[in-house]
Amino acid sequence: MSIAVAQYASLSRRSIVTTIRQPIAIIPSFTFPLLFLAINAAALERSINLPGFPPVDSFLQFMIATTIVQGGLFGAIASGSAIAADIEGGFFDRLIATPVSRTSILIGRLAGSFTLAFTQAWLFFGVAHLFGLTVDGGFLGMFGVALISSIASAGLGSVSVAIGLKSGSTEVVQGSFPLIFVSMFLSSAFFPRSLMEGWFKSVATINPLSHMIEGARSLVFRGWETSEFLMSLGIAFAILVLGLTLSLLALRARLADKA
Amino acid sequence: MSSLDVAWGITVRSLKLIPRYPSTFFPSLIMPVFFVIAFSGAFSGLVNLPGFPATEMKDWILPMATMQGCAFAGITTGVALARDLENGFFDRLILSPAPRRAILAGPLLAAMLRAFLPLTLLTGVGLIAGVHYRAGALTVVPLAVAGVGIALVAGMWSVGMALRTKSQQAAPLIQMMLFLGFFLSTALVPVDLLTGWVQTVARVNPVTDVLQLARQGFLGDITWETSRPGLLSLLGMSAVLGVFANRGMDKVVP
Repeated sequence: MSIAVAQYASLSRRSIVTTIRQPIAIIPSFTFPLLFLAINAAALERSINLPGFPPVDSFLQFMIATTIVQGGLFGAIASGSAIAADIEGGFFDRLIATPVSRTSILIGRLAGSFTLAFTQAWLFFGVAHLFGLTVDGGFLGMFGVALISSIASAGLGSVSVAIGLKSGSTEVVQGSFPLIFVSMFLSSAFFPRSLMEGWFKSVATINPLSHMIEGARSLVFRGWETSEFLMSLGIAFAILVLGLTLSLLALRARLADKA
Repeated sequence: MSSLDVAWGITVRSLKLIPRYPSTFFPSLIMPVFFVIAFSGAFSGLVNLPGFPATEMKDWILPMATMQGCAFAGITTGVALARDLENGFFDRLILSPAPRRAILAGPLLAAMLRAFLPLTLLTGVGLIAGVHYRAGALTVVPLAVAGVGIALVAGMWSVGMALRTKSQQAAPLIQMMLFLGFFLSTALVPVDLLTGWVQTVARVNPVTDVLQLARQGFLGDITWETSRPGLLSLLGMSAVLGVFANRGMDKVVP
């Protein structure tokens, strides 16, 4: 038991350290969302006066949950890239030649995604506070948003790990980035559904990301609401379960190829 | 062989590379179409802001997305030049007796010609999506002028950067500056509806004037007063970035 725990801890630590040592891989997930937040908060501030807009103090308050989730999802791609780099560099082959627990390979990667997203969420809250953000849900609300974002990031990280295991190519993993971009834009991440129309509103309504972000957002401007938090957390967990299933299947297929 | 022949030869080669490396050019066609769909849908409520000059968001977004597509088409010539620098083809070109200005003119001419692909595609998308061409067929004239102009400017920027970095790794930085240029302008709302620092930046950002030039036929009549700032901005950006690309070319040592 203790050996298994040591393996999980060791591979998790390696994943986190690798992430920290490759700033080029994580800087975009920190800078781009903050940049979009800064631009949109000033560009769309007047839109909060539109009839039907949620009762927020500022567009900054409306956008912060999106920014945190966006940063988490962007960072998740790094997990898939890292495992693909391990395959390209031969480390993966050496790792599976040892008696290490197979699932610890995946859990280690997901720990990296989770930790990065959780840290990032607090950093984003800190930066936004400097520009006047108020969080009606207080510390608990911020913790809720950080948790939702981190679990979703680990979930998407496991999807990108599945792509990395299947393809063994960092380029293919990076190529999946636009899918996140598209999913975010076809949701209510950047503007409320109440002000959308037609087929786009229908797409945003069936997009689970809309509901996850809306739940997280309500913790920021409405205060703590258990039902909203649980709905949002449930969607994040669903992404995690889906991602884990895909990555386990991809790992099994790769190990079968090596056998 | 005259300088013109050299420049045209490089231009033709650059255009022939489009089907050979579709992954490098494809995003400049797909991304603007996606922006039209996503931004028109997500931000459709913005037209209800008092003072918003369009009645439907797609009329506001399509010209902006077209300009982005043209700019990205221009950028691809710089990225292709970086590839030539990496694989040694550019060294052979520089060692030939061809004048350096002709070697520089080739990719820039290609940038302008490449702009016609997103221009044509986005005009088709606009017609299918029911975008209002309020000035009739003339609507596409300032759109095309602005599109070709912004492709030249983006081409000069990317070629200048490629000649300095000699690496395709610089592509994200080149694209990032372009994104900033657009999003710190009137990409989503007119300048009077912006607030804070973004409004200040947008007022002095030449891309704001280029978007005004491109959009005018979608919002009303085409006039010289509306066109002039955009034309002057394109001229100014071309002059500055032309010097930037030219100096980059002078610094290249085979």
